[in-house]
Amino acid sequence: MSIHNSLGLGKEITVTINGKECKSTFGKTILEIARENGIYIPTMCYLTKTQPIGSCRMCLVNVEGVEGAILSCQEKATDGAVVMTQTPELYRERQNIMKLYNVNHPLECGVCDQSGECDLQNKTLEFDVGDQPFTARDQHRPVENWGHVSYDPALCIMCEKCVRVSTEITGDEALQLKFGGYSSTIVNVKKEKNYASLGEAAAVCPVGALVDTDFKYRTNAWELSKIPSSCSHCGGGCQIDYEVKRDTIYRVSNHAEFSTLCGAGRYGFDYANEGVSKERESFEKAVDAVRNAQSIVFAPQISNEEAMILQKIKEKQGTKLICHEARAYQKFMQAYGSITGKNLYGGTLKKISESRGVIVFGTRINNDAPNVKYHINMASKWHRARVAYLHPMRDEEMKNIVTQFMQYAPGSEEAVAAQLVLALVGKTEEMPQNVASLLETLDPEALAAQSGISSEEIALLQNSLIKKQGFSLVAGSDLYAHPRAENIAKLLALLERYAGFNVVCVPPAGNAMGVSLICDLDDEVEGTSVGYNAKGDFTLSALGDGDLDMPAMNQQEGTLVSNDKRLVPMHVAKSYSGYLLNDIANALGLEAEYTIEYTAALPEAQGFKAEAFDDLPDYFDITGKEHRGYLLDEVSVPVDQRIESVERTGKMGPVVYHCNPVEQFSPFTAKCAAITGEAQLVGSAAFAEERGLSDGQKVSFEIDGVTFNRVFKIDTSMSGNIALNPSYDMGLSAALISSYRFKSIDFSATKNEEVGS
Amino acid sequence: MGLEQFKNRNVGTQEYKVLDLQESPKTPMAKFAQVAKRTFKGELFVGLGVTVREMINALFRGQMHTVKYPLEKLPISPRYRAIHEMLRLLESGHYRCIGCGLCEKICISNCITMETRYDENQRKEVSEYTINFGRCIFCGYCAEVCPELAIVHGPRYETASEQRASFSLFEDMLTPIDKLSLQQEYDGFGAVSPNADENIKKTPLAY
Repeated sequence: MSIHNSLGLGKEITVTINGKECKSTFGKTILEIARENGIYIPTMCYLTKTQPIGSCRMCLVNVEGVEGAILSCQEKATDGAVVMTQTPELYRERQNIMKLYNVNHPLECGVCDQSGECDLQNKTLEFDVGDQPFTARDQHRPVENWGHVSYDPALCIMCEKCVRVSTEITGDEALQLKFGGYSSTIVNVKKEKNYASLGEAAAVCPVGALVDTDFKYRTNAWELSKIPSSCSHCGGGCQIDYEVKRDTIYRVSNHAEFSTLCGAGRYGFDYANEGVSKERESFEKAVDAVRNAQSIVFAPQISNEEAMILQKIKEKQGTKLICHEARAYQKFMQAYGSITGKNLYGGTLKKISESRGVIVFGTRINNDAPNVKYHINMASKWHRARVAYLHPMRDEEMKNIVTQFMQYAPGSEEAVAAQLVLALVGKTEEMPQNVASLLETLDPEALAAQSGISSEEIALLQNSLIKKQGFSLVAGSDLYAHPRAENIAKLLALLERYAGFNVVCVPPAGNAMGVSLICDLDDEVEGTSVGYNAKGDFTLSALGDGDLDMPAMNQQEGTLVSNDKRLVPMHVAKSYSGYLLNDIANALGLEAEYTIEYTAALPEAQGFKAEAFDDLPDYFDITGKEHRGYLLDEVSVPVDQRIESVERTGKMGPVVYHCNPVEQFSPFTAKCAAITGEAQLVGSAAFAEERGLSDGQKVSFEIDGVTFNRVFKIDTSMSGNIALNPSYDMGLSAALISSYRFKSIDFSATKNEEVGS
Repeated sequence: MGLEQFKNRNVGTQEYKVLDLQESPKTPMAKFAQVAKRTFKGELFVGLGVTVREMINALFRGQMHTVKYPLEKLPISPRYRAIHEMLRLLESGHYRCIGCGLCEKICISNCITMETRYDENQRKEVSEYTINFGRCIFCGYCAEVCPELAIVHGPRYETASEQRASFSLFEDMLTPIDKLSLQQEYDGFGAVSPNADENIKKTPLAY
């Protein structure tokens, strides 16, 4: 706050716009204040979620006492300013801008994908530009196919929105401006990578220059009906709109003005469980199976309401509920809460984007939760935040954001957490005796020896954060299944409680956070089991290969809990005519006509509100404030500040890291046609040498009872003694993996098996 | 108008004219005499003469008044709205439809369905185009809205068929490529106005 006060930010001011008195706070631009008050200022390049671009000059306004017009998107309003947004001169000026935008712009709206939702079309009509009075010598500008998106330079109006999004928001930094007067274009400097995050750049494109390649020319924008929903892939619960015509989803769009969507959300929409009918016989078998089951195993790709149904079944007949990832997260957060006294982590994504320093720990964040990575990128770009990335392996995709990579030995997360605590938590009065004495007894050198992160690196991190404030910690799913997860949670909780860190414990993929809050989970499967999107003795599956079909996420209503601690609604985008989990529950004696009747019954003791599904709002207001579902309430839990000392761990040697490739999260994304890729075991050269594997060799190994048959590939860009093993292609078995993400695996038994020619 | 004159059935008081009919013959002999008289009077040949004259005019003097219907058809007004036709570009033979979807949008009986895709030549290709003629009301909006004069109402008014699908596919409506030279420019609904040339604004070509 002190910085804010010294600059006068946050002070109450009054501005008069078009004769209307508008109250606001200092620090906001004229455009922002006008929008808050419902006053229209036309813009072409303005994008609320990025910094003002100022390339279009449409937002010109007159301010009394100021010569000439000023750009309202950039200019901060001062107290007492008198602003005029509509004068005949401004209209002429804007009309001329539109005429210039129309120089040589092809008049082929009939075959342009943007037609109907095109800013240029709208503004051209708004400013009554009926012909093209100016022209320039045209050039040959071929259409470029960049993979997920295509670029047509002839349609581009050089507003720079896409470049800003790719730089400031998604952080792939693939797009750049190539200056050259009339021949300026956008260039993709990382074409070979085919970033799916460029879909976001296409989404903000006001014209048809950047469009989704798969969507191109398939239908017109005005024929599609938008069905608001939330993405269920990574746990981010991002806002999406399914665009549907004749029961086919053509594409997914989002409110790109305010929110951001990763490639999986944008392109992973086409899987649905289709052609299902109500088969009475299988249904009765399913009811019997659930009635007689001792355990229900389920994948975290499940809505809150379905989780609630499972919980009700447990309460009714004592069935054990097993969801490994959610269970690990639940235990982690319980331990975390025993220090902070709250059931949820205290951090928010918005605060991450406002931080001056971010520590990423125990997660390959670009793969695990793209929306969190985007917020880290925003902090890096907007506030030049120091970003420390603590992980056993570097991530080349994070190179442009991270200021300090710190590699630790797999398995030593507890020591690393203790190192962070020692470096960043100062002793305070309110700290209980046992915590203070623990801090004293920890030996930095011993911890450094154990983790592999030297004291110099820690000192560097410490120094980089000096004289800054507003830090965030992003903890991830490497920690949740760690044997010492609970103590790690407690150590990290100290950062939130005593060092004021904005901590976000990124939940594992799917709705693991919702499940962890709603279900009373058990650790191990016992007796006969029913699997829901997971392999069991009787399997209910939305993946199409179970004993009874279930709807995929885009075929059902329900809610999810996002990693921003928000309950968000999902709606039906595609028809489904089979049985639902609710039908089984009703057959077992529960009574609810629709699954969404459980929305209002979600446990208030965990921060849910008794709001009915149909009452949940789902929109962003004009200033970009999110009104989707509701934020979970923070619930106090008993504080018990017991922390154990750090346990010594042995070295793990070469390890296999359970990690899905970017844009892949689960068997559901694996079934989407637009997200391609081959599931392989990808390792560094060092790993290959140590394990005696060669490139292209077939290997077979087992993790948690799941057998993987993989082709081994060497990736020379990878460092460390690590191989990445995905699980997204494992179908119903993917949800059975429960152990710590790093695993030492001996390939000696299978390594002689070469790939057949 | 009142109904009085219809309700008045008193024939005698109205201005009816009574024909001067002769007395009908009473005896069988008189009846026979009347028939014989009428038969051999020669009036029959007057009528036959007219027929023969017209036959000679039609067959030998080129004054035929009827058409041989299934083989020949009367010309029909261009504004008549019958089964749609899809026209081709005269130069290239490529179909004119650009897949803009305006006809689909404007159709008030929702009978036009189209699918488009991005083809190999970077054009918008129409991959499916059907008109449900069970629903089409032949209003002509599709022809009027078409920016390319691609869909028009043709003169094909015989819509009896074993199934409606016989008309509804794009290929059936499209001008056959070998009949391209016979393709008529369309004057009816949605045609360019006669003074279109005067209304055209040219894009400036400064270079």
